[in-house]
Amino acid sequence: MLTIALSKGRLAEQAIDLLEKAGYDCTAAKEKSRKLILEDEKTGLRFILAKPADVPTYVEYGAADLGVVGKDTLLEEGRQLYEVIDLGFGKCRMCVAGPKDLTSDKLDRIPNKRVGTKYPNITRAYFEGVKKESVEIIKLNGSVELAPLIGLSEVIVDIVESGRTLYENGLDVIETVADISARVVVNRVSMQMKADEIKPMIEKLKKQVELNNEM
Amino acid sequence: MSGKFYTPDGFNDTIPEVCAFKKDAENKLRNLYARHGFTEIETPGYEYCDIYTKPGFVAEEDLFKLTDTKGRLLCARFDGTVPAARYAATIAKDTLPLRLFYIENMYRYNQAGGGKQCEFTQAGVELMGISGSDSDAGIIALAISSALETGVTDIQVTIGQTGLFEGAAAQMGFDEDTKSLIRQAIVSKDSVTIERTAKELGLSDRDKETLLMFAESTGSFEINDDLKSRFTDKGALEAIKNLEEITEALEDYGYGKYISVDPGLIGSQGYYTGMIFKGHTYEVGFPIFGGGRYDKTVGVFGREMECVGFSLGLSLAVTALLRQGLKPEMPKAEVVIGYEKGNRDARCTAITMAEQMRSEGTVVILDTSCSDEEALSRFADENGIETVMFFDGGKE
Repeated sequence: MLTIALSKGRLAEQAIDLLEKAGYDCTAAKEKSRKLILEDEKTGLRFILAKPADVPTYVEYGAADLGVVGKDTLLEEGRQLYEVIDLGFGKCRMCVAGPKDLTSDKLDRIPNKRVGTKYPNITRAYFEGVKKESVEIIKLNGSVELAPLIGLSEVIVDIVESGRTLYENGLDVIETVADISARVVVNRVSMQMKADEIKPMIEKLKKQVELNNEM
Repeated sequence: MSGKFYTPDGFNDTIPEVCAFKKDAENKLRNLYARHGFTEIETPGYEYCDIYTKPGFVAEEDLFKLTDTKGRLLCARFDGTVPAARYAATIAKDTLPLRLFYIENMYRYNQAGGGKQCEFTQAGVELMGISGSDSDAGIIALAISSALETGVTDIQVTIGQTGLFEGAAAQMGFDEDTKSLIRQAIVSKDSVTIERTAKELGLSDRDKETLLMFAESTGSFEINDDLKSRFTDKGALEAIKNLEEITEALEDYGYGKYISVDPGLIGSQGYYTGMIFKGHTYEVGFPIFGGGRYDKTVGVFGREMECVGFSLGLSLAVTALLRQGLKPEMPKAEVVIGYEKGNRDARCTAITMAEQMRSEGTVVILDTSCSDEEALSRFADENGIETVMFFDGGKE
């Protein structure tokens, strides 16, 4: 039995779609219900639907053998996992964004700047590790774009997909922190103890991802 | 009354049922190591932080810290190896080799859940002053024996060698930044980063394949001519020979079925200097034992010494066994002896009787609550104690 942790929402649907294309029967996972554990004894697959930020935790502790989760969550959580496939969907960028007239140069000249974000760890790693400067991080839980608009922070660090929300609010991308997409992660012990089941699955998924990319 | 009447985060009571089981495992391991000629060492519960942080073995934020009376920074014992290395370099004057073992509690920040606690017990073994594949294999064998001794039977051990990646990095001419990037990618089996970096560096397909082999080689990996032909670096070729000799020796120990070679096991911090291994079992998401060769560590404390060792997470092993369905049993009282309240003769007889039965190995409770005979029978019934004896001075 393999336990697969999925990030509730669109990412879960795409992951299930990919698994089906790769030849895995996911009827159980597509059941419309409020169940959080979807199990199929015939196929030997058990799906758990978790909040995205919790997927790496389930996998690190071995409560789930594998998981599908965005790179943003992986970077933020910093868990010890095997990160084996870039699934190529759920693509976006982690960016520093701010008012349209704020260029990268101008940004660097603001001392002790305040940064609003849902991703405090990524933000800290970027400003302290890459840009070698200390910043005041303001942890927010949503609608991060508000922060620079009403003067809570100078800039934000957030996920940017099309950039529309930013533009419509008079903001723009200043710097790219990282490219994001969905990843398959595997527990380090499961990779060893359940190699017979996990390795073929990884191979099949990789092939399917290549096919998708070619299309 | 209000206050924090619960245990701190990451610290737990070991309840009697589990404790009895864990102590039993400790005793079995203590006997096992003694039978192998290793002697037990207790190092201090606190060390100067410097022994961990100065050589870069452990990040400052992972240590539990406090200060001594002179304001110097101390930390709670983080592991068994570094204090043993300090001891070997500065105090031990015995002729080498040193064969040491320890069973102690360790303290680490940034640990949580899944059987991982801030405080946990490790049993560990250090063989100091000998190098060579036979010593490497002997230590792996002892680690496997340890797990078996505690009752963990579904074990898979992966063995790697730091020399393989070091050699590959040297052959391909990586600078420090590239090397650490690729090392991190291998450790997290991130083939995406490896492919991208290989492309950026303009590596040949064969070199790229070699790097991917590190990341993708879980399960059954074979040391063959193809692997050997990939390396020209002397260190890497010695590493391959070392792995071959280790697997051969482990066959002779009868442990061949437990082991597999994983070139991707390269260690994340450059602490290990040769063979490196990890032991896994079902139901815990973390390796239950691990170790390897660390020839540079003792030298940090002023005396060069080749070393190999391992530690087994006893708390993790116990968790694994409990989750694998083991039902721990407490040692149970077999006899309860009571005596009439205020009757010295009866008490003397009861004490004598209890001592005699205990000396024969029976578990005896002497009832000091001085219940009457009826209450004592009830107590025995409720607690599954088979035999009740009551003394009331001659009349028994």
